Amino acid sequence: MGPLIPNGILTGNWDFVIALLLGIAFGFVLEASGFSSSRNLAGVFYGYNFVVLRVFFTAVIVAMVGLLYFDYFGWLEMDKIFILPTYLTPMITGSVIMGFGFIIGGFCPGTSYTAIAIGKLDALVFTGGLFLGIFLFSEAFPLFQDFYYSGDMGSPTITDMLGISAQWIAFAFVVIALAAFWITWVIEKRVRKNITPYKF
Amino acid sequence: MNKNYIILTALMIVLAGGLLIVPERQKYQQIDPDELLWEIIQPTRYVSTDKVAQLIIEGDPSLELVDVRPAADYEKFSLPKSINIPLDSLLQESYQDYLGIDGMKVLFFSNDDIKADQAWVLAKRLGYDNIYVMKGGLNCWIRTVIQPKKPSTDSPSTEFALYDFRKGAQMYFTGAKTETSGKSSNKKAVKIQRKKKKTAASGGC
Amino acid sequence: MKKHKIKNYPHYINPYFGGLLLGILIIITVYITGRGLGASGAVKSAVVTSVDVVSSSHAEESAFYSKFISDDHSPMYNWLVFESFGIFIGGLLSGAIFGRIKKFRVEHSPKITSKTRLIGAAVGGILFGFGSQFGRGCTSGAALSGTATFSFGGMIVMFGIFGTGYAVAYFFRKLWI
Repeated sequence: MGPLIPNGILTGNWDFVIALLLGIAFGFVLEASGFSSSRNLAGVFYGYNFVVLRVFFTAVIVAMVGLLYFDYFGWLEMDKIFILPTYLTPMITGSVIMGFGFIIGGFCPGTSYTAIAIGKLDALVFTGGLFLGIFLFSEAFPLFQDFYYSGDMGSPTITDMLGISAQWIAFAFVVIALAAFWITWVIEKRVRKNITPYKF
Repeated sequence: MNKNYIILTALMIVLAGGLLIVPERQKYQQIDPDELLWEIIQPTRYVSTDKVAQLIIEGDPSLELVDVRPAADYEKFSLPKSINIPLDSLLQESYQDYLGIDGMKVLFFSNDDIKADQAWVLAKRLGYDNIYVMKGGLNCWIRTVIQPKKPSTDSPSTEFALYDFRKGAQMYFTGAKTETSGKSSNKKAVKIQRKKKKTAASGGC
Repeated sequence: MKKHKIKNYPHYINPYFGGLLLGILIIITVYITGRGLGASGAVKSAVVTSVDVVSSSHAEESAFYSKFISDDHSPMYNWLVFESFGIFIGGLLSGAIFGRIKKFRVEHSPKITSKTRLIGAAVGGILFGFGSQFGRGCTSGAALSGTATFSFGGMIVMFGIFGTGYAVAYFFRKLWI
């Protein structure tokens, strides 16, 4: 069975319609969960709003467990899906830079699109920044071309690297995420007592 | 509200825990028996020794010769530029990389057809295409290419043409004695192509 | 929770429900397309297209742009571009349904000015754009979809972004609280 497009069950022409529909669903969920507000997003780092953590980790554990069940029932061939390649050093560097970008800019690319949709100028500026950042990167690419391709490890899964089966990884993620949900619930309750409510 | 979350927490743990309990699923792609039979009866999956000789002499870069005999036999004698994948280790992951390279034809051979044929069926069930078997195996190879028999004088001219080709091939494969001794070192130096890890479309995020 | 209910609190869906929907969406996406969601790729396509339009020869010579240019079609004719356009429409839909679409405004902490916020957004955007190229994706592509599909690199990016966020949150607290 799946994945449908790589297995040729669903062919070519529908690609972009599907992309649009999936994007709409994605944008809808992001906006409806409150990801269109940078103050909501940044709240996760200061303990006054853990919506990012909740949505993000719920999505990760649901997807992980769900995909494994799909695999188990034979609906989805896990070895045919795209596994993001790992370039260890550049990826660590990149994620640290993105971490700074997140806390300074208050958005990430996907959420900024939805924030523009509801009229946030800061999101528009953020997306302009994204454009500029990628442009600068591309122009300066020859300078760190070697670094960009360094640490190439192919496309390992977590199982390949740690030797733990995917089922146990999913289980560990579920337990950690659920524990985090309960802990952050308590934290948020305490922090919110001392914070002035903010308007949107 | 709180009670609901407790139920949801428990549900999620049960679902995730369920994955740990369910038995491991057997995962190999079963080729449909009808399809396999149809493939098996195709005569095109066999390649004659003469054709193989010709391809080797021409230096066809897309040809990958796979010797499925045990390693000891392979060491003693094999076709030039062949690689050794003993039949009993065909399923090992390290050897899988040699099969299913885009644009490469894999040709199995053994002393006769039988082991090569078995390897062919196994590889087919593993889902590989572009695989072939050398008809008659190395025994036939020796009979036809290394020690060709002169056709009787009343044979048609095609027989003689074939004989001439085989004579030439014999020269190529055995001819200069120095080349024969150099064969084993030649074998080691063969550049073996391995399959690149499959990656889907790039340019991500 | 009820006690802390804030006036004017906008109608957001329950975050766990949102997460559930998002998780199901990832499964559907992977089931259909064999890969996860993404967002920053669309901006990259936009950059490549712009450069290609402004100076085609420059784009072809560059080791980076040339990777994404083909003669057959524009770099904008790309899965992620359509998907990102969808994200925008989805945001519009949700904003309309829950009544959050208002005139253009800048949202910021009362302790900073709009100008500070906009500078922060621009700097953050540049950093994010820059980092996403090294990270092979952003929060949605690498961290979320990557981790959900058990990619080791995705997990690295996820921990990298959030770890850094927490590590440096203290220094930027004035921007938010």
